Amino acid sequence: MFFKKKDRGIREAGWDRTLITGVVGMVYFAPVFWIILNAFKTRQDGLATPPKLFFTPSMDNFFNVFYRITDAGDHVATGMGLYFFNSIFAAGAGVLLALVIGTLAAYGFSRYPLRGNDTYLFVILTTRMLPPIVVIIPIFLMFRVTGLSGSYIGIILLYAMFNLAFSVWMMKSFFDELSTDVEDAARLDGINEIKVFFKICIPQLTAGLAATAVFALILTWNEFLFALLLTGNDTRTVPVAMARAMGGQLGVDYGLLSAIITLFLIPVFVVTYMLQNHLLRGVTFGTVKK
Amino acid sequence: MSTLRKLTSTIALGAVVGAFAVQAPAHAKDITIQMAAPDWGPTRFMQDYANKTYKSPTGNNVKLAIDFIPWGSFYDRVAASMTSGEKKYQLVVSDSQWIGTFIEGGQFMKLNKYIDADAELQNILKDVHPALTESYGTYPYKSKNIYGFPQMPDTKVTFYRKDLFCDDGEQAAFKAKYSKTLPCTYEDWESVDWDTWGNIGEFFRRDAGSKLGSGTTPDDFYGIAYQAGKTYDFSSGQALAFVWQNGGMIWDESNQPNAQAVGVVNSAAAVKGIAKYVDLLKYSPPVAKTGQMGIFAINNLFSQGKIAAIVNWNAVSATAFDPKSSTVADKTAVALPPGTMHNGELVRWDVMGGQPFVLTTWNSDEVVKESLEVVKWWLSKDTQLNFAKKSGNSALQSVMAMPEYDGIKPWNRAHKNVLKWQKDFWHVPEFFELLTQQQEEFDKAITGQSSAKDAMDSIAAFQQELLTEAGRIN
Amino acid sequence: MSNIISSALRGQFRQTNEVEKQQSTTQQTGKVQMNAFYKWLLDPKRRGALLVTPAVLLLFVMNIFPLMWSFGLSFFHFKASSMKPPRFAGFYYYEKVLADPVVWDRFQTTAAIVSLSVLTQLVIGSALALLFAKKFPLRREILMMILTPMMLSFVAVGVFFKLFYEPTFGIISQAYMYFSGETMTLLATKWGAIAGIVIADAWMWSPFVMLLVLAGLVSVPDYLYEAADVDRATPWERFKTVTFPYVKGLLLLAVLFRTIETFKLFDIVYIITAGGPGTSTETIAVYVYRMAFQFFKTSQSSALSYILLFVVIVLTNLYLYFVNQRNEGAS
Repeated sequence: MFFKKKDRGIREAGWDRTLITGVVGMVYFAPVFWIILNAFKTRQDGLATPPKLFFTPSMDNFFNVFYRITDAGDHVATGMGLYFFNSIFAAGAGVLLALVIGTLAAYGFSRYPLRGNDTYLFVILTTRMLPPIVVIIPIFLMFRVTGLSGSYIGIILLYAMFNLAFSVWMMKSFFDELSTDVEDAARLDGINEIKVFFKICIPQLTAGLAATAVFALILTWNEFLFALLLTGNDTRTVPVAMARAMGGQLGVDYGLLSAIITLFLIPVFVVTYMLQNHLLRGVTFGTVKK
Repeated sequence: MSTLRKLTSTIALGAVVGAFAVQAPAHAKDITIQMAAPDWGPTRFMQDYANKTYKSPTGNNVKLAIDFIPWGSFYDRVAASMTSGEKKYQLVVSDSQWIGTFIEGGQFMKLNKYIDADAELQNILKDVHPALTESYGTYPYKSKNIYGFPQMPDTKVTFYRKDLFCDDGEQAAFKAKYSKTLPCTYEDWESVDWDTWGNIGEFFRRDAGSKLGSGTTPDDFYGIAYQAGKTYDFSSGQALAFVWQNGGMIWDESNQPNAQAVGVVNSAAAVKGIAKYVDLLKYSPPVAKTGQMGIFAINNLFSQGKIAAIVNWNAVSATAFDPKSSTVADKTAVALPPGTMHNGELVRWDVMGGQPFVLTTWNSDEVVKESLEVVKWWLSKDTQLNFAKKSGNSALQSVMAMPEYDGIKPWNRAHKNVLKWQKDFWHVPEFFELLTQQQEEFDKAITGQSSAKDAMDSIAAFQQELLTEAGRIN
Repeated sequence: MSNIISSALRGQFRQTNEVEKQQSTTQQTGKVQMNAFYKWLLDPKRRGALLVTPAVLLLFVMNIFPLMWSFGLSFFHFKASSMKPPRFAGFYYYEKVLADPVVWDRFQTTAAIVSLSVLTQLVIGSALALLFAKKFPLRREILMMILTPMMLSFVAVGVFFKLFYEPTFGIISQAYMYFSGETMTLLATKWGAIAGIVIADAWMWSPFVMLLVLAGLVSVPDYLYEAADVDRATPWERFKTVTFPYVKGLLLLAVLFRTIETFKLFDIVYIITAGGPGTSTETIAVYVYRMAFQFFKTSQSSALSYILLFVVIVLTNLYLYFVNQRNEGAS
């Protein structure tokens, strides 16, 4: 049986713990804070010595994320809005797909082990072991031949693949931990398999699904190499477009890069924050049994 | 310019044939020429100006569509496109050194037969500075085979703080210490050699709080810097100038298969040059010790007022004149880079920067023809003059000879005068291997892991073996 | 071999009879009315296969196929940049790679970075998890501060840590200078550069380890702690006998994933040090990149990758085996 909240080992600590973790948290967060601060700085302020903690904030970098000023002084949209949409769509759909396929597979691996079950599992894991650069050329070729290159469906399938190993492994551990008593009882009552899966297993695993989704999202959100080579102008994602802030005439445009990073952090931050409770509870369910 | 290209990328221009649909009166077609290019001013200008002015003389409705790829990922994107047979681009911006790889791979097209048949192109090529044609277009290097045209020419020049170099107090102090004139004007800099450059480095090294010019420096201040970074060619781009200026040579691909590497690459003159290159780094900011002092690092240091003078690509350090990114925008001037006294003459051999653009091999005759029309438009006097006025450097001698040219950009005069001293390094497909190993060895010398001699011996031995195996050395 | 993994992951818990139990129960549910196809489809014999099929299909198309392609290429003479057709080469490239002293050097560098980084992540991640294993005001908010680094891209982390280490402008360098009076040139030496990379990577991924460990910590039933208190167990004993068993499986999962990922570490290295000074921080992933994408030694880079894959598989299994042995010895 899984744990009731009151059974679990979270003990209360007081404000003193808040203070300690607050200090640790601030130290840990400092580099991110510095990046966010940088987004509001002009280049001069960003490179000032000694470093400037107080300065007149400028919104120029954020403006430059979305607009480019031409030689003639016109403001031209950079398409960054679209790239944000693309990132959210591709990562979101990819994670969702991986979750659906991964959960089914995990259920299979857990409840109906195949011969060589563990071998399959390990093979799935090995797909994450190779440097992606090795498979990129064949995938590039394949995408070109099939016309997937530059399409949403292509990059979504890739991201689903990308997350499959993690999803299967995590979801399998959740299923493994789930008691089969309820399922068995349901089956004895004549409930069919599909209902058992959807009505009995899944509701118990929402937390696990949430946790897996967050992890997968974090691992996908910033994917760069595949996106660089396999997206087109209209399906480009933010990590690829982010390179615009690096290696122009100035080398790295720290302000612009910070502004993009800051904006790009918001969606994944919000999702993580919202699912945070599940994150812990979910993983717990998954791996600890009684 | 090598600069950016160096970052990783190349440029590929590609043109894609668009919908052939079309009607129009006399067989006029809609043709879209797609070009792969790095995302920055010189290529943005090309697109904007084409939108505004380009009309194909053939009567077809031709559109130039540039695929802007960020510099940082440009090389990867182009390499993947070329090697996968994507055939997406008809024009490609390329770093000059990459052309061998893609010529031998069959992706970049030899243009001689088109040039031979086209008097207008011949005239344009006569007007393009010969050092540019040689570096950007020939394969093997210095042969008669033409593959590319200049998109953005670039050279290294000296950017210096005129408020410091022309300060009376500093002038007098320098004179007293070295019995030499502290160079202030363009003409003063014409006689500066690397020894004087070293003097300047030593002279302007000031601790935080010391007097500097008419004030005091709030931070540690350094005299000189040039590129010495491990990334891409961020040390070779400067170090080879020292090899050449001291009378040394690199492996000579135009003399295959007889040219040797061992004994040439690590000749006494070459070693002397590299030793000098490494030695002068002691006057540079501390980042030099880490082997991370690339072309952007020195530009940042200069723009933020931490260095008195740098030698850098003009396309990069142009930003030193932009008040948005530079605290010394109104205090900066440009001059020739230092040279080396060799046989009684101040020689300034240096590494060519910038990028050519090339045509690809998979296009119909019609598209090739239209692509060449784009080339002619790009290298026309009008386009090139406008380019020089906005975000680029002109490739044409006739434009550079115009009286107004020197005044358009602060670096134009120096740039024009060093062009004839520019050479390129290898164009062979083994380029990246040669460069990577050389950068590693230079970096070892820069960070004190090895001596200049050991570094050059190792480079020579590696090149001898690699090139022999590749059948380029007998 | 993978038995070891899953049983290690399951830790000391549960055993396999359950599986058999289930299968017999599912057969009884066959009474339920279904049409023939439905019945065939849901036949318990192929139910596992059916459920797994979409995953296998996706993996095959998107991953296994390209893997096989490049695996095949490692036995042929082939350059991606050239249009020449491949010629059979046998094990030529494997021999070449194994005889290449550069490869061994890169493996050593990689091993140093992987072990240092994973160890650091383990220590910091566990320490952070212990801190957060209690309920206290603002816990959610402070936890988010710790979790944010892993939401950044490698490129962002690389670029900014490079800036932080820069001797003139970097805040870390300036802080160092403020306290010591010396200029900091961290990246000037081999171990300094490795430290620079490890700090950036460990900062980014310790939260990942923390999350998994924390999940284990909060799952320890309270009564076990109470029992330990009654027994007057020392904190160490309590940790060893009560806490650790609940954390172990997750810790193992964390180490497994972090080891695999760190072996592939590329962007952070490439951006912060570019493999320098000299070749001090050239990792295998950087070398594979250069070989595949800059030198266009397609066959050789494929061969090297498969040797790398082999090494990672062997290491993973050795590690799992070792952990498993210890578990069994202990219990």
